[in-house]
Amino acid sequence: MSRLGRVLVMLVCAFGALTAGAWRYALAADEAAPQIKEYKPNISAREYEKRYNAVYGKYTEQMAEEGNPADFMLDDGKDLFSKVEGSAGKSCASCHGANGEKLKGAAAGFPKYDPATKGINTVALQINRCREDHMGAAPLKYESYDQLALDLYVKSLSNGVPIKVSIDGPARPFYEAGKAYYYKRHGQFNFSCALCHVKYSGHMMRANLLSNNRHHADHWPSYRLKWAGTGSLQRRFRGCNKNVRQKPLPFECETYRDLQLYLTYQANGLPIQVPGFKM
Amino acid sequence: MRTSNLAALGLTLVVFLALSAAAMAGGNAENGKKIVQARNLGNCAACHVVPGMEFPGDVGPDLAKSMEGYAAKDRDTVWQWVWDARKFDPDTIMPPFGPNKLLTKEQVDDVVEYLYSIKKK
Ligand code: HEC
Ligand code: HEC
Repeated sequence: MSRLGRVLVMLVCAFGALTAGAWRYALAADEAAPQIKEYKPNISAREYEKRYNAVYGKYTEQMAEEGNPADFMLDDGKDLFSKVEGSAGKSCASCHGANGEKLKGAAAGFPKYDPATKGINTVALQINRCREDHMGAAPLKYESYDQLALDLYVKSLSNGVPIKVSIDGPARPFYEAGKAYYYKRHGQFNFSCALCHVKYSGHMMRANLLSNNRHHADHWPSYRLKWAGTGSLQRRFRGCNKNVRQKPLPFECETYRDLQLYLTYQANGLPIQVPGFKM
Repeated sequence: MRTSNLAALGLTLVVFLALSAAAMAGGNAENGKKIVQARNLGNCAACHVVPGMEFPGDVGPDLAKSMEGYAAKDRDTVWQWVWDARKFDPDTIMPPFGPNKLLTKEQVDDVVEYLYSIKKK
């Protein structure tokens, strides 16, 4: 091979290596880039506020006047907190202080990544873990009265504290999974949560104002007129699943915990306000 | 025997032709209105303003206004919107009524006939 030929081959190889590198780099950049194109709401925040108050203002007033029925459950949760249960002869208050002093602000960091289970931990899950591991008591059935009451009480200890959920490090994939579920089209109508609660939030669907997800995770458990009772955020997930003819999932399953992490992150910076009051 | 067979064949043919002519002419607007209204069928007013229907949504455009933009020759386009709007907007919120078996072809014909009947002239 002539000298020129060798130079040419070298050049081609170098070019090849470079482009292959660039190709690989492009792929990596692609993988790092968010897979999901997030929606922006059609309606400005100010206009949204106006519409929301027009539709829901009267209920908020009604609650301010008559009080929130869930306050009774909150009182019961407070009693349960210092009730001794299980083989260890302890109550929640044995570890977390009378009136839950040591848990003030704790709920603001939930849901959070838990290295022990390598998954997302919610307040509800944590309460049951404490009962089993530290009290020798049976776990409470999700969405049962006592379970909701304790969950509500523990969260109320953080009322007014800004939500501060982390999606850094190991929490990230769970957040992404929650987001993926939120944006995925489901069921016969081919809807996603994000279509109704981001893109078209502030619009009317029939007589319902589609609410924006920024405020979905700051006020549960909430009393809901339609339920004539108090329930959790995950009960609301199941409701929306059913409304759009999609199979509801079990309480505290991995998907719902990821979804809860995603939604709570949207509420970062907002003060916790439980119990909520909803239609 | 043979003649009656032939007659039957002829009759089927006539009925078939008549039916397909009706299909081409569009559907039945009155029936279309019911489909548009029914919550378990079209439920179009959940998202669109439709004349005379209560508590309409405002997710999609006012359908009577939209129809102003469609002439008689655009029937296929309107039909496609109802059958599967993803052809025009791949990320639409409008359910794919045809492919997801929410409405049959005949029902979409009826809906389209109804849409032309509300078109402001
Ligand atoms: C077709 C529209 C639609 C879809 C799709 C939908 N929702 Fe909803 N959702 C509603 C309506 C209507 C309400 C009641 C009014 C409101 O608060 O927005 C609601 C309420 C909610 C609430 C309560 C809001 C509050 O007050 O805190 C939550 C949480 C929620 N949805 C979550 C979801 C999740 C998660 C999904 C997907 C699994 C989903 N929604 C899918 C229409 C929808
Ligand atoms: C969940 C919401 C939703 C439902 C239900 C729905 N649509 Fe739509 N529709 C939309 C939106 C949003 C658009 C605007 C285009 C887009 O974003 O895809 C649209 C567009 C249209 C258009 C085109 C309008 C134009 O200006 O060109 C027609 C026609 C139409 N819809 C008819 C119907 C009919 C008929 C039904 C019921 C059988 C129906 N839609 C149900 C949301 C909906």
